[in-house]
Amino acid sequence: MNKVAQMIIVLTSIGIISGGLLAIVSGWADPLIAANQKAETEAAIFRVQPDGKKYQQVENSGFELYKVMNENNQTTGYALVYEGNGFSGKIRLIAGLSDDLNNISAIEILEQVETPGLGTKITEEPFTSQFKNLETNPKIDWVKGEKPDKSNEIQTITGATISSKAVVAILNDGISRLKKLRDNGGLK
Amino acid sequence: MKKQVTLSKEFFKGVWDNNPVLKQLLGLCPTLAVTVSAINGLAMGLAATFVLVMASLLISSIRKIIPAQVRIASFIVIIATFVTIVDLVMKAKFPDLSKALGPFIPLIVVNCVILGRQEAFASKNNPGRAFLDALGMGTGFTIALLVLGGIREIIGSRTFFGIQIMPDQFEPWLIMILPAGAFLTLGLILGAVNVYIDRKKRLEHESIIAHYKRVGREELIEELEVK
Amino acid sequence: MELFIIFISAALVNNFVLAYFLGICPFVGVSNKLSSATSMGMATTFVMVITAIVSWLLYNLVLVPYNLAFLQIPSFILVIASLVQFVEMVIKKVSQPLYRALGIFLPLITTNCAILGLALFGSMREYNFLENVIFGLGAGAGFTLALVIMAGIREELDLADVPKPFQGAPITLIVAGILALAFMGFAGMI
Repeated sequence: MNKVAQMIIVLTSIGIISGGLLAIVSGWADPLIAANQKAETEAAIFRVQPDGKKYQQVENSGFELYKVMNENNQTTGYALVYEGNGFSGKIRLIAGLSDDLNNISAIEILEQVETPGLGTKITEEPFTSQFKNLETNPKIDWVKGEKPDKSNEIQTITGATISSKAVVAILNDGISRLKKLRDNGGLK
Repeated sequence: MKKQVTLSKEFFKGVWDNNPVLKQLLGLCPTLAVTVSAINGLAMGLAATFVLVMASLLISSIRKIIPAQVRIASFIVIIATFVTIVDLVMKAKFPDLSKALGPFIPLIVVNCVILGRQEAFASKNNPGRAFLDALGMGTGFTIALLVLGGIREIIGSRTFFGIQIMPDQFEPWLIMILPAGAFLTLGLILGAVNVYIDRKKRLEHESIIAHYKRVGREELIEELEVK
Repeated sequence: MELFIIFISAALVNNFVLAYFLGICPFVGVSNKLSSATSMGMATTFVMVITAIVSWLLYNLVLVPYNLAFLQIPSFILVIASLVQFVEMVIKKVSQPLYRALGIFLPLITTNCAILGLALFGSMREYNFLENVIFGLGAGAGFTLALVIMAGIREELDLADVPKPFQGAPITLIVAGILALAFMGFAGMI
């Protein structure tokens, strides 16, 4: 009896103390973590929309979408966060789009698990800078092993064709959904 | 009566003689997973050392009131609490590092080094000794991770702690930062450690034989050979 | 389709053992005989699927609604430990042959980081219930596959002339490295 009581008391008090301690620590850390995440998203939005000064999340769009404005509250464009399958897992990216959705201002890869040294080149120059001012109509296309000659084409990375194509496919998918949303009046 | 070990030995046994990674092969999951760079290895090593030291101190101070039947459960809850604290602090203060180490900080809970030291040492010794033991084991663990991470970073991405130290002409070996590189490097390091130990043993053996020869007691040599 | 991708990804492309290094301890420890590797793999898969179910329910029905996400690690590990104990008791009651086959491996599974890793990955990636179960099944299948292949190689390795300092763990790790390289061939399937 004594043994059992001791077991229960010790385990319960360890549980309560640890729960209480964690509640205190997480009460301190949670606002900081949330602030970190917010700062990260904010920085990414302004990197893909360099002229933007303010932003506002578009509600009820079904995906993560931000409307970006300059200091006079004029809309400069949109920032779209979208994800899809890459070579060995999910690729998550943010793309800046012009107000009429016809041009990309810049893209940035937020998360990826591609092959180090090969697929991870999608996060670096010169691949990402190819998307600057790229046309999105009728859709983004890619060429392999040669310089692109149309204004809606990019060149895939040697040794990482699938990863490069995945980025293009994710962008096309996200932008076409965005255009559909606009045509249905969801961006007002 | 158990022979008391000196305090410095309590610390240094974990660094080399009983190094958790190189000699006991414990805690291999985080060792292999996070060591793509020296900084990751160091961060993981320090995080695990912090948890190990705190848990050992606490558990050895309350070792007398924990009933034997529920000791493992108590150890796990205490370890998990410290791990969560480390995880939250890292997320709040070092978001980049926390992203790089990903889910491997929470997985410190099931790192066999930590639970193993509680069961084998902290629950049987006073807080002072438990502290030294934990600090030694943690140091050994951190050194092993740092060495592995350093080798993989230098050969795999030409850098050490992010600073380029290999010439541009050196083409980085991608395999070193791939999962396969972790297995291969650790396998080779373990092999090298074994080679070193074998050599040391042989030299010791030879010096004993030489000593016996000098004092003219050949019959002891035969005894040694049999052993 | 999404479910199939999750399964393939967990089993082959991002194999728990060879790409995420989860469950290395049993991988090095139990992979020297084909028969015990198969049993260990099956026991682990079994526990993984149940863990996927229980951890999802715990996280999404208790921890998130009550703002207790900071208790995730302690609660997951306690649930896994009691789950393994419970499964052991049930198997012992229900089927003696199964208990004899899996029994001794079950206690080892508690400290297998692959199980906790599975629970943590599942909540991190915000899978829905069905996706999480499939993820558990895929991870278990991948673990079993890696373990069985390794055991097959190690049985042959006993006959090979390995330099003495490399016998045991070092050569096992080197073989695992080559295996990890081979598994990289699965990338691109998703």
